[in-house]
Amino acid sequence: MAGRRALKAVLVDLSGTLHVEDSAINGAQEALQRLRSSSLDVRFVTNTTKECKRTLFERLKKMEFGISEDEIFTSLSAARSLVEQKQLRPLLLVEDSALEDFEGIDTSDPNAVVIGLAPEHFNYQTMNRAFRLILDGAPLIAIHKARYYKRKDGLALGPGPFVTGLEYATDCTATVVGKPEKTFFLEALRGIGCAPEEAIMIGDDARDDVGGAQAAGMQGILVKTGKYRQGDEGKINPGPYVTCENFPQAVDHILENLS
Amino acid sequence: MAEWVEIVKGLKGVVLDICGVLYDSGEGGGVPIPGSIEAVKRIKSSGLKLRFCTNETQATREKFVCKLQRLGFDISIDEVFAPAPAVCRILNDRGLRPHLLVHDDVIPEFDGIEKSSPNCVVLGDAADNFSYRNLNEAFNVLISLENPVLFALGRGRYYKETDGLKLDVGVYMKALEYACDIEAEVVGKPAKMFFMSALADMGIEPQQAIMIGDDLVNDVGGAQQCGMKALQVRTGKYRPTDELHPTVKADLYVNNLAEAVDNILRALGK
Repeated sequence: MAGRRALKAVLVDLSGTLHVEDSAINGAQEALQRLRSSSLDVRFVTNTTKECKRTLFERLKKMEFGISEDEIFTSLSAARSLVEQKQLRPLLLVEDSALEDFEGIDTSDPNAVVIGLAPEHFNYQTMNRAFRLILDGAPLIAIHKARYYKRKDGLALGPGPFVTGLEYATDCTATVVGKPEKTFFLEALRGIGCAPEEAIMIGDDARDDVGGAQAAGMQGILVKTGKYRQGDEGKINPGPYVTCENFPQAVDHILENLS
Repeated sequence: MAEWVEIVKGLKGVVLDICGVLYDSGEGGGVPIPGSIEAVKRIKSSGLKLRFCTNETQATREKFVCKLQRLGFDISIDEVFAPAPAVCRILNDRGLRPHLLVHDDVIPEFDGIEKSSPNCVVLGDAADNFSYRNLNEAFNVLISLENPVLFALGRGRYYKETDGLKLDVGVYMKALEYACDIEAEVVGKPAKMFFMSALADMGIEPQQAIMIGDDLVNDVGGAQQCGMKALQVRTGKYRPTDELHPTVKADLYVNNLAEAVDNILRALGK
């Protein structure tokens, strides 16, 4: 690969790539071990916003993934830092289970809207409340804009459609803090101290994982698990660096060709 | 006054929006906007033709007109153009079977339409039916189709009810468009076909007609795209920033329907 530096780090998406809900992708734990026994740094980057870091960590532990909590970088942590930095009092449209990551933030008399994946808040009343705040000048912060995600019972709407709706209603543009934003990937790499050209991202979302990482200067591997649907690799330009059946195959590819 | 003389040149017919122009909707049926009941009567007795173009999809056209009559308006069903009957004609013409995400009270409009194994989605102003669960269901119908077809009954951003501004169907249209990476077909304002059917019914040309509405983009912009003149009233969902809109500019802004009709009739010498 001309112009590319030696690979130093691998960013791995969680939901849809390592697991779907509480079931691990076949062979994923063992593949992660193989990846770890190489000299590559591994970080886990996720837009799974309905759960706080601790819950994510505990679920992964239960599925017997060898991961530590501080290796996980989530869009919730990114949203929290933005809220703190701008001293905002957000209306938090996130699931109760994610509230832990916002502990200590003042939410009285809100002057901002933070929106994540929160099916129980995406009702007409709450959407109207958010809409009126934004119309009165409150900034809209989106934890991410994923179109949909995969549940056991099929595909389900992500926060993206609701963010897009509110943007249209109020003629504003949301500040997105999660994948596929460039700043998100750079922030995740900063902890490792490696440049985007030295890193690769593995994920099941062509736009948010692969497209986002590649736009930030990394390479991207698309896996055909989770929310992947046939033809997704053609939805981004340039296309994925490579498309693999699943996470174990992606790891094989990296170990055989890139390290 | 000179601007009004210009506005009424060749004028033969008036198209009125309903919600936010005739009345403000809300609990208990809503309240007429002062002077509007009289203004409708005055247009009718002036000899000008009159039709109503509404994107109202929270009730059948019949129930909606009955409500307006109860509020005191001189209005009949065949003067009212609404998206639900219009989309039913399209569904029939194209042999489409809809999955409906609409307000419960408009469902009877679709009584005669085949709805089994749906091959399109019809999205109306569903209000409280805009739940996550219902949107997800509509999304799953669309995403499973090879050629997803989404009809939106209007594309409004929001409207005003007596207890405040509420999100309109356009917001959820955008949500599903984004989720499925598709573009909806809009039935109702600002679609040109919708205005044209009202004009054809009056037997007049766009240059002979004026639209009066509270929605700058959908009423005013839509009508102007057809070649009509258009006024924005400062009632309903009107916000002062509308008058600074970068691309859509009403021919004139007026405080309310009564003031618009006063000026039109005076300029016509009636």
